[in-house]
Amino acid sequence: MQPLANITPLKPAGAIEVRNVGQIFKTTTQDVVALEDVSLDVKPGRFVVLVGPSGCGKSTLLMMMAGLRQQTSGTITISGAPIPEPDPNRVGVVFQEASLFPWLTAEENVEFPLALRGVTKSDRRARAQDALKLVGLDGFGKRHPHELSGGMKQRVSIARGLVQDPPVLLMDEPFAALDEQTRMTMGDELLRIWTATGKTVVFVTHSLTEAVYLADEVIVMSPRPGRIVDHLQVSLPRPRTYDMLSGDAFGSLRDRIWRHIRKSA
Amino acid sequence: MSAATIRRLIVIGLIALWEILPRAGFIPELFLPSLSSTLAAGWNEAGEYAPALAVTLYEVAISMTFACGGGILLGAVVGSLPRPRILIMPMVSSLYAVPLVILYPVFTVWLGIGSESKIAFASIYGFLPTMLATAAGIQTIDPQLLLAARSMGATLSQRLVRVIIPAAIPTVLSGLRVGGALVIVGVVVSEMLISSAGIGYLISRYRTILDSPHVFAGVLLVLAMAIAFNAAIKWIERKAAIWQTGTHAGQTAVEEIAPAALQPVT
Repeated sequence: MQPLANITPLKPAGAIEVRNVGQIFKTTTQDVVALEDVSLDVKPGRFVVLVGPSGCGKSTLLMMMAGLRQQTSGTITISGAPIPEPDPNRVGVVFQEASLFPWLTAEENVEFPLALRGVTKSDRRARAQDALKLVGLDGFGKRHPHELSGGMKQRVSIARGLVQDPPVLLMDEPFAALDEQTRMTMGDELLRIWTATGKTVVFVTHSLTEAVYLADEVIVMSPRPGRIVDHLQVSLPRPRTYDMLSGDAFGSLRDRIWRHIRKSA
Repeated sequence: MSAATIRRLIVIGLIALWEILPRAGFIPELFLPSLSSTLAAGWNEAGEYAPALAVTLYEVAISMTFACGGGILLGAVVGSLPRPRILIMPMVSSLYAVPLVILYPVFTVWLGIGSESKIAFASIYGFLPTMLATAAGIQTIDPQLLLAARSMGATLSQRLVRVIIPAAIPTVLSGLRVGGALVIVGVVVSEMLISSAGIGYLISRYRTILDSPHVFAGVLLVLAMAIAFNAAIKWIERKAAIWQTGTHAGQTAVEEIAPAALQPVT
């Protein structure tokens, strides 16, 4: 009997597989290699952070995982299937800022992806309420974005990314525009939400402290062409606390990332 | 005292001065007839002013439709597609700097001195700012909003209806405000230049016989028309503000509407 060699084993929901992915931007004068031969496995439920200097293609990689951009070569699968176009049932995306629709209330913003799919009004409202409660914004649904603080806006964005309960949440520098204190609080909040939901999170950031504080694994990338230069396991215990920031384990991890980035920047 | 109250007091003060200064003899009637004699002149010749107003309103309404409809339509195309933008925008921008009134005599040669030439002139006059504002409104939509909508699986038509149109509305409305005001200017000016009917024609005719009260009666009617137009735009802005709160245009609209009183026409 032939072994069933060519049947792909079923990947569990939330697994991300990046295989030999390349991305070339064609401009009129020259071709720019944004990413070269990037391979990466993210197991379900892991919190993975991508760091690297500007222009290392980390956001590009995230956009490809979201189906918002197609790679020039290689394959990307989410929960075992390729992602040729955005699929909010499999992947939720949270952007840096200002991606809430200013003319909609917080709950209408969260309902937006459901409204696109013709979910009934009452069903939509109920699910938006649940999502807002999850991110700690119970009772703020009727406010418009300009009536919310920066941190609250990002909570709404997270609620919007989670409202269809996708197994994967991709976050593109979600806290970059926030002040230091809000940023720390939001980091803790995100970890709480992540623990409560068990999502796979891929998180892009510039901040080394944020990277080590949040991550199970940190992926360090180099610029032009974007490549993975290091893949660190962060074995600090959870829940993470503020005290760990000044510990030796934390410091040595951050130093290791910094040395990579300094070399390429 | 709130800004609105002060504003109202200034308007009332100006109206009072309009009555008092000519009556007290500080200003000759020829330069500025008193408000009461202006109103009396207008009232006594109502049989002449009413049909003239009807003609002017008719011309304004048709020109407004062409200017705003065409401006929004072409502005949307130019704002969203790069190729037409490269072709058309430089031409439109240069055209904007031309004093378009030089075209009016040409229009009267083509279309006669009736309403058609006024409509043609005022339509083009009001079309340009509406189109430019619409194009800018669509071009300056935050690409992050469109990316977010796409990440949630929005199709092209869903992005148009749910993101592009609501995001462009404040800019388009400000374009309508300028374009509509220019339509009124265009109609009245062309009536004053070469014409046989309309408020502008009456103003110009009474001026030649130095009948100031009748001139000012016409001026008052044009003023009333502009104020009514402004009120209409504010009404639309308020309707739009219901789903536009959050943008700056929406907010200022709400602030301005609250003291919905007489306001100077800009």
